[in-house]
Amino acid sequence: MNQKNTKSGQEPLYETISQILRHNIASGHLPEGLVLIEGPIAKLMQTSRAPVQASLRMLHAEGLVQRFRGRGYLVGPPNKACVPIRRSLDEFDVEIPEASRSALVVRGTWLRVYDQVEAEIAACQIFGEFRVIETEMADYLGVSRTVARDVLSRLNERGLIRKGASSHWLAGPLTAKTLSEKYELRGIMEPAALRLAADHIDPIQITTLRAQIDQDKLKSAAALDDAFMRHCLSRAPNSALVELIGNNRLLLSAVDKALNGLGLPADTVAIEQYRTLFDLIGARQIEAATEFLREHLREMSHKSLVRLKIVALVPESESLPRYLSSV
Amino acid sequence: MPTDLHVAHKIASPPRVKRRKLMVRGTNVTLLEEVRKLAVADLQFDIEFEVLDFLTCQHRAALDPLNYDIYEQCFHNLDIVWYWGALQPIATERIAEWDNIGNLAKAGGISKYTWQGHGDAPVRKLYVQPDGMLDQQPMPQISMLPTAHNVDSFGFDRRLFGDEGPEGSSWAWLLDRRARGRIALVDEPAIGIFDVALAAEANGDLTFQDIGNMTVDEIDSLMALLETLRQQGFFVGSWISPDQAEELVRTDRVSVQSMWAPSYGNLGIMAGDFCESVPREGYRAWHGGASLARHLSGAKLDMAYEYLNWWLTGPAGAIMARQGHYMTNQERVRDYLSPEEWGYWYDGDLARCDLKDPNGKVVVRTGQRRPGGAYRERVSRIALWNTVMDEYNYAARAWNSFIATLGPARP
Repeated sequence: MNQKNTKSGQEPLYETISQILRHNIASGHLPEGLVLIEGPIAKLMQTSRAPVQASLRMLHAEGLVQRFRGRGYLVGPPNKACVPIRRSLDEFDVEIPEASRSALVVRGTWLRVYDQVEAEIAACQIFGEFRVIETEMADYLGVSRTVARDVLSRLNERGLIRKGASSHWLAGPLTAKTLSEKYELRGIMEPAALRLAADHIDPIQITTLRAQIDQDKLKSAAALDDAFMRHCLSRAPNSALVELIGNNRLLLSAVDKALNGLGLPADTVAIEQYRTLFDLIGARQIEAATEFLREHLREMSHKSLVRLKIVALVPESESLPRYLSSV
Repeated sequence: MPTDLHVAHKIASPPRVKRRKLMVRGTNVTLLEEVRKLAVADLQFDIEFEVLDFLTCQHRAALDPLNYDIYEQCFHNLDIVWYWGALQPIATERIAEWDNIGNLAKAGGISKYTWQGHGDAPVRKLYVQPDGMLDQQPMPQISMLPTAHNVDSFGFDRRLFGDEGPEGSSWAWLLDRRARGRIALVDEPAIGIFDVALAAEANGDLTFQDIGNMTVDEIDSLMALLETLRQQGFFVGSWISPDQAEELVRTDRVSVQSMWAPSYGNLGIMAGDFCESVPREGYRAWHGGASLARHLSGAKLDMAYEYLNWWLTGPAGAIMARQGHYMTNQERVRDYLSPEEWGYWYDGDLARCDLKDPNGKVVVRTGQRRPGGAYRERVSRIALWNTVMDEYNYAARAWNSFIATLGPARP
């Protein structure tokens, strides 16, 4: 892999998407008035919706697209009256320049590798402290050391690993103290984000979520917590805060996954609490929802401490990837 | 055979009814053959005891919840077993003797003036709260029926340390340089860690802000201290079951070690020299009990309640007393003990005759007095409880690797 590709693989995904959209708007492939919705664009680019969202917000700020009385954006500068064209993106010959295409591809493998490593490194920490060996990792994943290094520095940014005194990468141990601190942070940041997000939460989405809980389609506390993050907290118009919240939750959800994998029973009390939380948000009782969230997090913190004790029964997994070595 | 006949046959003569059986999983603390025989005699069903060591018992109770009906261990094990979802709440209205159970378990101390002790006092794990958590706010449902309990210390050789004197001994003796090379520890982390922590604090090596809930730094310091002592050859090794501990004493391999009742009655010729300490810092206490498996319902659940209620009728408590353990409803136990037995085990009196253990072996000689005295005196001096603390995952892993380097103590 050459240096240039790695560079473009590192640039934020929304930047790559923005470049593609800019190019197609300028060339007229995407005509004025065309309704741009996240989903179809994400599908075309083979990415998740979050970076598309960010990219559209950016184009809006640049004056290339405008808000209108409907879902999504219209192609065209903010003050110009455009008639909405609602047609499938497939009908337009969207051009993806070669540089952007390879950026998307590189980004794709990089992301796939990253997700795997992130899950493995988060999961190992309940077993103690580990050294992460870069060369072993590159070998294990079948990628270059450059990619391995990029993955590690991203993990470092997200607070999952750190440099030890002798400059080795270290992960863990996840202690009761770490857990308590992370929940304390959640208790500070998430109610604040919910308040900021209040006016940006899509009420239809909340109604759908409530229906899904009633129909038993959302059955785990973890899935509900993800939905709460995606549809409520992420709507806060402060992307730095949203990112901090996301990073802070990483380890917590990894522990959850590890424990659920061991066969811990579903936390029905927590599921009830999410139901109430969504009810309050749906009713736009934001003050009450915020207080309720705070109390819910306090309880979750207590529960997670107890669940961590249970981990002591679990022998260190023999299937730990070989790039992790116990300290 | 034609189908209709087959069906008719089944209805006419049901298959031989197997005698109903209750499966009890627990440890050798309460699962004694004498207890089982008495229970079977009084109840209308069979009982099978599955006796496991402490760690295996906790592990299997949590991870293999379908293969037992009753779980008997300690309150400190509930943080693991209860939250794994293996158990169901006990309705106190179905426990006939509930009102006669003492305040040590129900309120945290025998009187409101006694100090509860650090760590997992049973009352903090007793009541099932509306959100499914365990706490001390009284509720009509409990996690575990409180039964046998005791306060523990350590055993020491008076030939080395001399007699205790009026001030009592000190936990410091457990890591005393005079006993170098002749010290053994119990392997169970929820117990062993606290024995050495009490010792390290008593001899001034370490201080803990809350010894019942140590921080990661405190655990690291404790483990570093133990490693240093190990390298200096302090330890003979570790033991898993009390008979291993007794064997270490009988073969004169240890001068001081983790130990508790009823081992003091099984020391043979060493009985006069190896003594139960009355530490001036206070005792390390534990509280046992019995819980209902989550899967129980209907008739099986009724059987399980019968068994729980039987535990409080007195005979089981008498057997517990003869091996040095207390029961929660003592007046019922008194009916099944001789006045001499009651006087020695509960009232701290001088033994007016030789006293036997549940197997009929003499374990107390005429004229002996129980170390620490009467029930009220002993349980008023609880320093801390066996505990599964917040950093248990971290501490148990560190402890287990220390125990592994220590190796078993082979008599």
